[in-house]
Amino acid sequence: MKKYVDYMKIGMKEHLVYSGAVWARLFSKIIYLYLQFCIWSALFTSGCIKNPALDKTNILRYIVIATIVSTIIECNVIEKINEQIQSGNIATELIRPIGFKRMLLSRHLGDTVIKILCYTIPLMILAKVSTEMQLVCTYQLGFGILSILLAYSIQFLYSLIIGLLAFWFIVTWPINMFLGAIYKLLSGVWIPVTMFPEMLYKVNLFLPFRAIYAIPVSILANGMKINVIWQSIGIQIIWLVILYILMQCIWHVGRRKLVVQGG
Amino acid sequence: MDTDEISIEALNLRKTFKIRKRDGGFTFIKRYSQIEAVRDISFSIQKGDIVGFIGPNGAGKSTTVKMLTGILMPDDGSIRINGMDYRKNRRDIMKKIGVVFGQRSVLCWDIPVIESFRLFKDMYCISNEMYNKNMNMFSDILNLKEYMHQPPRLLSLGQRMKADLAAALLYNPEILFLDEPTIGIDILAKERIRDFIKQINQECHTTVVLTTHDVSDIEVLCHKMLVIDHGNLIYDGTLSEMKENYATQCSDSLNKEDVELEHIIKQIYKGSFL
Repeated sequence: MKKYVDYMKIGMKEHLVYSGAVWARLFSKIIYLYLQFCIWSALFTSGCIKNPALDKTNILRYIVIATIVSTIIECNVIEKINEQIQSGNIATELIRPIGFKRMLLSRHLGDTVIKILCYTIPLMILAKVSTEMQLVCTYQLGFGILSILLAYSIQFLYSLIIGLLAFWFIVTWPINMFLGAIYKLLSGVWIPVTMFPEMLYKVNLFLPFRAIYAIPVSILANGMKINVIWQSIGIQIIWLVILYILMQCIWHVGRRKLVVQGG
Repeated sequence: MDTDEISIEALNLRKTFKIRKRDGGFTFIKRYSQIEAVRDISFSIQKGDIVGFIGPNGAGKSTTVKMLTGILMPDDGSIRINGMDYRKNRRDIMKKIGVVFGQRSVLCWDIPVIESFRLFKDMYCISNEMYNKNMNMFSDILNLKEYMHQPPRLLSLGQRMKADLAAALLYNPEILFLDEPTIGIDILAKERIRDFIKQINQECHTTVVLTTHDVSDIEVLCHKMLVIDHGNLIYDGTLSEMKENYATQCSDSLNKEDVELEHIIKQIYKGSFL
């Protein structure tokens, strides 16, 4: 177990190596939060949104929380795997008596700890101070945190799956770009999914993206009935299981495909 | 220690890569060609041997080493490391082998070298005693102290190589694979690295398999040689035997006594010997 803790520490240190990058990221996240807040406020004051599914405060809460939660859930595992497979450096990981996927997870967890400290907490404080809104449904906070944990795992598995496709394609960032656009829209990190046209909303019910942002953020931001909360968490668990099985299949088939070039 | 123990056994290894042909133009018809990187290679290596693995570029050396280290899976054939199979005892084998790639580093790029060592200490469950003993030994021979608090990013190639070598030997592996360990290294550092490998081999009875293009590496280090070309194993025997064979077969050489190894290897690559 201790080796995975070491990997967590390495993940933490790797994130902090270039302090300039940490500051730049923090500022870009603050600007993005401000931008999102301004755009949605403006949309409401201009009267562009007719018969919204959620009222103004609920939407603003949703948007602010989605932006803050994204700093936790974000996952750069796709780029990490791509880089390793493309350069062949994956060889140096495969000769270790460790699980490759667990190693990635440990590093990602370490990375997340630093992200929470450096981005999530400052953003939360900033949002609280500047908006003076009641952001979180406190009586649903427990469910919200559980849901974030599930969303975090789903996001990790999703990234792992896309990343591992590099066994076949060597480079998967174009796939990631394509899926990235769909992901950003359908996950609800930009726009609350409840505002989608009915058709799109129905399609989205059968896709995993919703489980990553829309569910945890809604639980945190908007009041819900208890049975709806349980239902949402159930959906997350189902996706977790499906993606886990899919990931294992891809790993076992892809492992044989590996070509380590050079040398 | 029983020196007759076999540490590596390879039987009928094969590996074929499917390569898509690209002629530079845009075409929708995909044409593939099969490249047989390794065709039916069998050999065994005894415990405590230092074996040189040589062959021209693209002969299949690295592919074979990658299969021996469990990075690539052979299409056919079997590999036994200390009697264990990668399919069943992968983790156990990994704890017993050390690998150094001359062209890649196993150390975390942005993190001080010493941190990577600590990671390996926990990863391979190295006792404090053994860790300290090894670290002291490596510090003496490889000047680790000079650079172990810097990340690999800032090290010279020679320093990085030494750090990698230390990382691979930290857990006293029984078998050490070295893939071009002296590539791009200056003469003095090379000598250090060779002496170190020799010392480890003598003290710990470590089996060493190295691939190299540097003939002097082989002359200084190796007892045995495996020569591979076009994916076939064309020679498996000791260095002295090879020299003798050459002397008897190619009587044209003027002084049979000291034929340069480099000359022999050139002849092998050209296809006029073996």
